[in-house]
Amino acid sequence: MSGTVVDQHSAETDVVVRTVGLRKVYRADFWKRAVVGLEGLDLEVRRGEVFGIVGPNGAGKTTTIKILTGLQRPTAGQAFILGHSCEEPETRKRMGFLPERPYFYEHLSARELLDFYGRLFDMPTRHRRERIDLLLERVGLTRFADVALRKYSKGMVQRVGLCQAILHQPDLVILDEPMSGLDPLGRALVRDLILEERTRGATVCFSSHILSDVQALSDRVAIIVRGRLRGVGTVASLIGDRVRYVELVVEGEVDVGGELVRRDGAVRTLRLPPDRADEAVRAVVQAGGRVLELLPVRDDLEAVLLGEVERAGPVDETRLGVL
Amino acid sequence: MSRIWALATNTFREAVRDRILYSILFFAFGVLVLSLAMQEVTIGDQAKVVRSVAQGAVDAFGSIIAMFLGISLVYKEIERKTVYTILSKPIARWKFVLGKYTGLVLTLWVEVLALTVLYTVLMTLQQRFPPPVLFVSMGTLMLELMLLTAWATLFSTFSTPTTAAAFTLAIFIIGHLADDIWLFGNQADSATVRQAARALYWALPNFELFSLRVEAVHEREVPWGRVGLALAYGAAYTSAVLTLAIAVFRNRDLK
Repeated sequence: MSGTVVDQHSAETDVVVRTVGLRKVYRADFWKRAVVGLEGLDLEVRRGEVFGIVGPNGAGKTTTIKILTGLQRPTAGQAFILGHSCEEPETRKRMGFLPERPYFYEHLSARELLDFYGRLFDMPTRHRRERIDLLLERVGLTRFADVALRKYSKGMVQRVGLCQAILHQPDLVILDEPMSGLDPLGRALVRDLILEERTRGATVCFSSHILSDVQALSDRVAIIVRGRLRGVGTVASLIGDRVRYVELVVEGEVDVGGELVRRDGAVRTLRLPPDRADEAVRAVVQAGGRVLELLPVRDDLEAVLLGEVERAGPVDETRLGVL
Repeated sequence: MSRIWALATNTFREAVRDRILYSILFFAFGVLVLSLAMQEVTIGDQAKVVRSVAQGAVDAFGSIIAMFLGISLVYKEIERKTVYTILSKPIARWKFVLGKYTGLVLTLWVEVLALTVLYTVLMTLQQRFPPPVLFVSMGTLMLELMLLTAWATLFSTFSTPTTAAAFTLAIFIIGHLADDIWLFGNQADSATVRQAARALYWALPNFELFSLRVEAVHEREVPWGRVGLALAYGAAYTSAVLTLAIAVFRNRDLK
């Protein structure tokens, strides 16, 4: 890639994805108001990590991914992959991508489609065929390898999409909502594939609305709200160690206060502030009741995200304006 | 180059698996066969009339297929979002446009070849093996279709198939009236109209430059200079239109 922009910082710090002051402004047509999709986004994804991107709908996750994959150009700022500008086609040689709700050529079978994509990566024929067989086997589609994609279910199409993203064993795998529309088995498959890719040494960057998956899989997470980066770090650093409340499961009619969550005969589940847990347990025991369970509930990614959305305040009208 | 070829062969495969293409081809075959019946209802040079109808059918159906496939060539990829998984790979946008275009031209070659073979068989059975001018005229028809397809490709990079169809049809009609525009300009009294007509003549394609239908029907010899001119004109004009299509598509954001 001689003659292309090379990002020295990425090369020196082993950063695989780097965005600097990324800004994206959309305008549907000349007369409509402009909408800011991204505002000053600075991100770094390090080599070998699984990096999750979360945010509400319209936050800018897909915009970020489309800029990284060369499908859109930023209005301002820069984006680099493996030290090279995202706008250079050759940069994408070491990258695999699964778009949100992928669409493929329905006139092709899964084998033909993957063969076509392999040719776009200049993969040698033999290697291409071996990888296709291996991947179709891995995602359980060997039996349907020669069936036209128009006959595939949504879940099967998503599996083919995953295969094409990792077909050429890229250094960076970008997945936009890879669990979208999948059943629990499909989601488990995606989770396994992400972890397998990390074990292979690849860097995986993915966006998802399924926060439990992001929390379970990601080494680090970025929270994007209304086009701005609201937080980035390990799940533990974002969530913290704070206990939000405790759930106390008791048997016996003892009034210890708190909020009743559910009742199953004489067994009640109560929600209490953490500092009232000791006192409540004592009160139950003294009154002859039984404490069946005491469960501290900590913040999770969902709570952090909701908190960030709340902190971001109402929709910022300054994001909408005629350019 | 291998990536452009991969895109071209995929486009070709998509076209030949499209049932609508076969429907159009079926009609074309039908008209060719029916042209034989023309001799029964024709007074005068029956063989010439049959050749004229058959040659016209190949021209018309070739143009219909070129327009039909070309107008949605790029648009369909964007609308169906299949383009996302192509352009996120190491494919420059110019390679994408060129690959799609090449695939379509391949399809047209095969289609014109199939019609020419049938035409040749029919002529041989009914009259005699056609003279070389027929095959030269099919070659220049291909040049015309390549230019028409380039226009359709350009329109498909920024408009819907319906709009692209209207634009391409307009170009097709105007392109066949280019000589009339020139004549009209020469006969105009107003200098402005004269200049405007000449500007239009030079800017818009002249499809009549490619047409050797009269020569083929009358089995006249064609000067090679004319074929050379058609080749040079076709190559230059097609390259220019494709360059414009690439420039338009390069600046498109894929939402």
